[in-house]
Amino acid sequence: MTKEPLANLTGTLLMTAFLLVTLLFAIEGTFETRTQIANTFDRQAQIQQAQLELEELLRLQIDEENSLRGYSLTRDPFYVAQYHQAAAGYDATEGTIAQILHEQDLTGPQQLLATYGQLQSRWRDEIAAPLLSHPEQRLVELDKRNKLFSDYETRTAAAIREALAGTGGALARSTQLQLDRSSYIRALWVLAFGLLAILFNAYRSRLNRELEQERTITDILQRAFRSESVPLPHCEVGSAYLSATSHLAVGGDVFDVFRLSPDRALVLIADVSGKGVDAAVLTAFIKFMIRAIALRQSEPAAILSEFNGAFSKAVGNPYLFVSMFVGVLDTTTFRLEYGSAGHDCAYLRRRGHVEQLAVTGPVLGVMEEPFYSKTVALNPGDILVLATDGLTEVRNRDGQPLLGVGAMELIERANPHAQQLADELVTLVRARSGSRLRDDLAILAIRMIDTGPSRA
Amino acid sequence: MLFVVWLAATASASADCKVHRGDRVVLYSTTDDPSVLAWDSKTRLREYHAASFDEAQAMLPHAILIAPGTHATVFLCVPGFVESPIFAQPDDAVGVQITNGPQHGLIRWVLGTDVRTKAYLHH
Repeated sequence: MTKEPLANLTGTLLMTAFLLVTLLFAIEGTFETRTQIANTFDRQAQIQQAQLELEELLRLQIDEENSLRGYSLTRDPFYVAQYHQAAAGYDATEGTIAQILHEQDLTGPQQLLATYGQLQSRWRDEIAAPLLSHPEQRLVELDKRNKLFSDYETRTAAAIREALAGTGGALARSTQLQLDRSSYIRALWVLAFGLLAILFNAYRSRLNRELEQERTITDILQRAFRSESVPLPHCEVGSAYLSATSHLAVGGDVFDVFRLSPDRALVLIADVSGKGVDAAVLTAFIKFMIRAIALRQSEPAAILSEFNGAFSKAVGNPYLFVSMFVGVLDTTTFRLEYGSAGHDCAYLRRRGHVEQLAVTGPVLGVMEEPFYSKTVALNPGDILVLATDGLTEVRNRDGQPLLGVGAMELIERANPHAQQLADELVTLVRARSGSRLRDDLAILAIRMIDTGPSRA
Repeated sequence: MLFVVWLAATASASADCKVHRGDRVVLYSTTDDPSVLAWDSKTRLREYHAASFDEAQAMLPHAILIAPGTHATVFLCVPGFVESPIFAQPDDAVGVQITNGPQHGLIRWVLGTDVRTKAYLHH
């Protein structure tokens, strides 16, 4: 009985954990994708920057050439200053591009840029420097070589452009791929999350169904085990039951009013050591067994004695015992014959006073001592109040038990009608315990209200 | 027979070129230096564009430098004859006879992209 709820709880916790883990993975995946895409965008931005710097480099290189041409044609020193300014800008820009390419680990464009730099350096040494020194010596061969440099620099610059564009394109495709993959993965996560949610819901529905089935079974069992009383002629019967196990209507206490014949009724109240469902199973056993014995044995002492023998053998637990009050009430003469096996919570309220009915034997299930019966002649208005130790043992906030004396005082002051009396006692017990019941409580009250013809 | 083949090849080649025999053109380079290198053969023109820098430098005595804007007349065009790492597609080799300037009358080979028809320039 205890393993199944534990398994259900574990299952619920596992499913919840799965859902949480799925959710966390989905969130983590989204953040990771975001970081990857951010990195790719950053690389793209760097490459775009390198492309812009490359165009600036080519502009500065043309500035160098044009300044040299201007100086060659005009001999104006202004062009020499322009040439040096462009050359300095060229070197700085080349450094910037080299730095970006190095950071982005683009070896191909790095090599091309180095080639470009070497060409420019050779151009400065072989073309620019001689022309700056001797502008008048502009020779056809020098011009051809200048054209050669120009062609090769153009060719190398085109290769760098192409390499950077290729890398940029690859990064753009990579970004697209990451976005696509991220979308697919996110869709998969949503699918997985949805599936898990469906599974979780199905699992919860199954648990609810099982719980509902268990509730139904419990209701059926509770109806079977519940103490009950039937109306008796010339009597008013009231009863109440309070289980220490809050959600159960059954416990270790039991009472029963059972008509043995038209004018004889079995009156029973018993208290099984323990509480809860296990004790309730025993009370059902007690109730039906006592009924069966009482149909054969008319004397309470004989009923108790026979039950004691059967109980010890059937239950076989030396630590389990039962206190029990069994009475046979003649509803015509109001003659009560009873036997009390260690059950001291039996009271008689008569003309405003309450007396305790004496115990006539030990509790059941402990020893095989003989049990005795006693007879009490009741009168109209007398109330037989049978309770379990949930009444006498109830404690107040200071931990003080009510005890027999306190119980008798309550009974004395209570409403004289049987059901009201039982309800009032339950209310008082609840109030005294502060709704923290330690033991089950059963109350059975029978008030003699009329005289039968035989008695008259 | 060979003549027929040559004629067919020439006709086919001319059909794919952007300039044709007899076209009057202007020479102008789109590189940083607008001057045009003109070669003594179309093979040298092709080798120049496929060569390394040093190899190309060694070939320079076979070229003349033509000032941008020089006029010429096309006598032959071989489509897609010149391949280079920087060309997306092979370029034409265009044989021209220079019609003005200090190199007037010389016959040389230039790159297709260095040749502008007058109609192109007007537009």
